[in-house]
Amino acid sequence: MAALAAYTIIGLSLGGIFSLAALGIVLIYRTTGVLNFAHGAMGMFSTFVAWQVFYGWSHPFWPGWISTLLAVIAGLVFAALMGLFLEFAIFRWVRTRDPVVKAVITIGVLLALQSAASLIWKNNQYHLPIYLAPQAATFTIADVPIGANNIVVIVAALLLAFGLGAFLRYTSFGRAMRAVSDSPTSASLWGVAVGRVGAVSWMLGSLVAAVAGILITPFINFDTTSLTLLIIDALAAALIGGLVSLPLTVLGGFLLGLLETYPTIWIQSIGFPRLVALLVILAVLVVRNPRGFAVAAK
Amino acid sequence: MTSRLMVRVLVTLVAFAVLARIPVGFDVGFKFDSGLAVIWAFGLLSLVLLTGYVGQISLCQATFAGVGAYAAGMMTATFHVDYIVAVAVGVAAAFALGIIVGLPALRLHGITLAIVTLGIALVFDRYVFQDHAFEWFTGGTGGWSVREASMFGLQMDSSKHLMAAYVVLLALFCLVGLLMVNLHDSGAGRRFRAIRDSELAAATMGVDLTRYKLLAFGMSAAIAGLGGAFYPLVAGNVSPQPFWLFTSLQFAAIAVLMGVRYVPAAALGGAFMAFVPDVLTRFGHGSLFGHQYEISYDWFQIAVGVLLIVQLIALPDGVWGDLRHRVRHARSAVGALGGRRVKVA
Repeated sequence: MAALAAYTIIGLSLGGIFSLAALGIVLIYRTTGVLNFAHGAMGMFSTFVAWQVFYGWSHPFWPGWISTLLAVIAGLVFAALMGLFLEFAIFRWVRTRDPVVKAVITIGVLLALQSAASLIWKNNQYHLPIYLAPQAATFTIADVPIGANNIVVIVAALLLAFGLGAFLRYTSFGRAMRAVSDSPTSASLWGVAVGRVGAVSWMLGSLVAAVAGILITPFINFDTTSLTLLIIDALAAALIGGLVSLPLTVLGGFLLGLLETYPTIWIQSIGFPRLVALLVILAVLVVRNPRGFAVAAK
Repeated sequence: MTSRLMVRVLVTLVAFAVLARIPVGFDVGFKFDSGLAVIWAFGLLSLVLLTGYVGQISLCQATFAGVGAYAAGMMTATFHVDYIVAVAVGVAAAFALGIIVGLPALRLHGITLAIVTLGIALVFDRYVFQDHAFEWFTGGTGGWSVREASMFGLQMDSSKHLMAAYVVLLALFCLVGLLMVNLHDSGAGRRFRAIRDSELAAATMGVDLTRYKLLAFGMSAAIAGLGGAFYPLVAGNVSPQPFWLFTSLQFAAIAVLMGVRYVPAAALGGAFMAFVPDVLTRFGHGSLFGHQYEISYDWFQIAVGVLLIVQLIALPDGVWGDLRHRVRHARSAVGALGGRRVKVA
């Protein structure tokens, strides 16, 4: 029973990360019509920037929390700038193109980012994570010890999801973003700056991906490929939300996290969770009407 | 029509004769690259059929090649069959997987199909090719090693007879390429292109969507698997690395970059994919103005990514397609100058 509870905690933490990664994908897809296969790679690159600040450039005499804070800020600022750069350098020029063409462009972004990271940080596995909460700190709820970092992930995922939802619902810029996701043409006729909305979506999406990447470091031996390949789990979660709904996406992320974790009680395999993700994707696509996704792109 | 076929056969024969001679006299490394170039060209050719003709997107072509390679490796390493049998089994295994992957494609297209095929590539990369549960197929962590292989009784293994394997591969590629060019205007090819242009319209015109989409996926996987089945012969062993997810993504990127609708673009892309990284790692280090530099394989993939982005924004029909259009324009311009009648396409 205690083991099951422990696996549930791991699954929920993993699910929180999937939710965060998927939120960015849904946000970008809704407002710009780009299904971003490079989302994992973007999160990976920002995470490595944070890691570089944390372990490479911070002074040993600084207290730990300053290094952590600086690393997280550096990672997030870099992520926002990268999102802006991608929008201005690439996706601004292909706004009217077919969704498939835009998706293939993100594959180019993925390949370039992945290789650039492996060029800078080599193909080593890094065992030095960025802990946002003290590593050894645990809470005990009903005799089940829960690591503080697990709680940080789950809370961060829920907070960011609700924050993003509130931003889209209650602010005027959020309203503009929803208008663009419904119809860019009529939104621009109503005076919405479509270009600015796209730029902000890319910035926000990239930020959320960086948060997901930084939060996952305590749970895996991270390297350039494993974070890039997080994309498939994020896409599975995003598909559960139909590529439009934020609450369903978050729910899907947590569900997928649990589904991928429980089999590891019996099956010791790196690859098996990926099979779970693929089966979830297939199940969602068979049950839902796939044409719904194509409509959402317009 | 027949004269066009004659021209195509002649061009293919000349291309074969020239390309077969090129690696002679170079070292073993370049001979290996030549063999690899044809194997990758098969992978790209499979995308010409699937994406260029039928309009289906796939991000798991390296998986098909890998299944072909592992099946062929398993047949030679455990059953010691003649290599032609191993190739046949590899192609059949890839064809079967292609049909299975084609099943979800009956309901999906565009980005959802891309997601599913990406998932399949990842599952095969991380699970099937690397997990203990599939050791009977992958030969464990070391993979299969192919030392003594013969085809039609001819010795053909990587250590001494690399050129023989290359010539056979090249001949097969020329044959399949020629068949592909002819397929374009045949009845099946017209049905394929009707599906690409509009599935709804094709179905209305009486094209059996189920049959032709499954056929396209099966044939495409078989072409990729045919190249992959020769991998153990050329490289001497099979390992998961050459057929991992990033090779699939590179296939998609390079096929689109070179021109996904044209058969010669596949050959061009295969050579690009095999030679450029090797040349970079061989000659890409030294010093320039007293500054040490080293160009590694990573630069190749960065270049592929950046070139793909630039190409999709600037030259939507790919490198080969753009060259073709330019040559056509130049020819019609010259024809107009001479006062001859120019056919308006």
